[in-house]
Amino acid sequence: MKVFKHLVLAGMIAATPAATTQTAMADSLFEDLGGMTKIERITSRLLDLTFTDPRTAPQFKQTKRDRLEKLLNDQFCELTGGPCKYKGVNMKKSHIKLGITEREFNAMVEQLQAAMDAEDVPYHTQNRFLALLAPMKRDIVER
Amino acid sequence: MFFRYASVASAALLTSSFPAQSAAADESLFGSSKLLATPGVIQVEGAGGAGLSTWAMISGYGSNREIGASAHHTYVTTDDFTLNATGVTVGFFDRVELSFTRQWFDTGDAGGRLGLGEGFNFNQDIVGAKVRLFGDAVYAQDTWLPQVSAGIQYKKASEGAIVRAVGAEDDDGFDYYLTASKIFLDKSLVVSAAARLTEANQFGLLGFGGPNGGHSVQFEGSAVYLLSQDFAVGFDYRTKPDNLAFAEEDDAMAAYVVWLPSKHVTVTGALTDLGDIALQGGQQGFYLSLQLGF
Ligand code: HEM
Repeated sequence: MKVFKHLVLAGMIAATPAATTQTAMADSLFEDLGGMTKIERITSRLLDLTFTDPRTAPQFKQTKRDRLEKLLNDQFCELTGGPCKYKGVNMKKSHIKLGITEREFNAMVEQLQAAMDAEDVPYHTQNRFLALLAPMKRDIVER
Repeated sequence: MFFRYASVASAALLTSSFPAQSAAADESLFGSSKLLATPGVIQVEGAGGAGLSTWAMISGYGSNREIGASAHHTYVTTDDFTLNATGVTVGFFDRVELSFTRQWFDTGDAGGRLGLGEGFNFNQDIVGAKVRLFGDAVYAQDTWLPQVSAGIQYKKASEGAIVRAVGAEDDDGFDYYLTASKIFLDKSLVVSAAARLTEANQFGLLGFGGPNGGHSVQFEGSAVYLLSQDFAVGFDYRTKPDNLAFAEEDDAMAAYVVWLPSKHVTVTGALTDLGDIALQGGQQGFYLSLQLGF
């Protein structure tokens, strides 16, 4: 009887995390975007554009791309419900001194849309992702 | 010592202010930095909105430091009538919108039946202004709170004597509206509702006020689904006053498809039902609007 109870408990413990991850995955944007490999490809394409587009490139002259790319991957992954932890500075602190305009912000959104298009992310999935990023404008855009 | 400190400080100042300045330098006053589809289109009276209703968004693709302008031509044909509208709408710094639109309403054969003469035209000029009050339809995706704007439209009908003969009090008048709009980006949905204080008969084409009343509060609303980057479908509904005694005035509605091949070109095609107009029953038809802007 006691053994049986233990077995059941063990079974429940074993089953619970798996079950939760399953349901979390089922409606997770992280999965719908295509998981970590896809996010990495999107970020890479995004930064290719950000670092060359004359609307945004001037802001990134001093930026170490590798570090930013890693931070963005973690941020996008965590934000969409993936198994990552963003360890960078918060959006307000990291952008406050840059004097970023709405025009620059929108340029980056357009670059992200282009990056997602190139990675065949469906339009409505793109919008779900953009909905998570949009409120950050409050902290990022200064003028 | 002091000198060294000062030069470090000024170097720091320079590096921190330089990127901002160079960014400001290549910013132009006229621009199209808003995101595609977010400003809506020019509605039939010249305001930023959808086919029939006004939205809280400021028209044009100018962002908060830009001026954006567009021109539209709108053509509506119903069973008995044709309406053409042409105008220009300018958005200033995503804060203020000014517009001018002229409408030509051709009564066609019905003009003869109404004793006006075949092809008789009712025209009107509409000058509009809108100011964004608070809220953010596009970016504040973490709240359901809408963007809210207030607007005013001055309308002047061309045929003063005739609109008075059919019972209108005036050939000109003001509409005041309060509009609230929100893009629910995670659902790819745009929802907008407005209250309009108006005494305009058939949008103003048949004058203002009449035996049944003057200003009253009317409703207009839109729901739009963003299908893809360059296509959206939507529905508009608008109630209207019923001030004239000689003919009942109905609500208007439209179901439309918007094509946005770029920020500079927008095409709206709609099926519209304007109800009875001047005793001519069930005015259903087609609505086509072309908008060009920067
Ligand atoms: C939703 C939009 C954006 C997101 C999610 C975002 C995210 C980030 C992240 C995660 C970092 C790293 C913070 C850290 O160092 O710990 C960062 C840094 C930075 N961001 Fe953004 N950002 C956004 C928009 C923008 C825009 C529009 C610009 C300018 C055009 C910009 C310019 C920069 C710059 C220059 C840095 C500093 C990079 C460095 O360390 O050199 N960001 N951003």
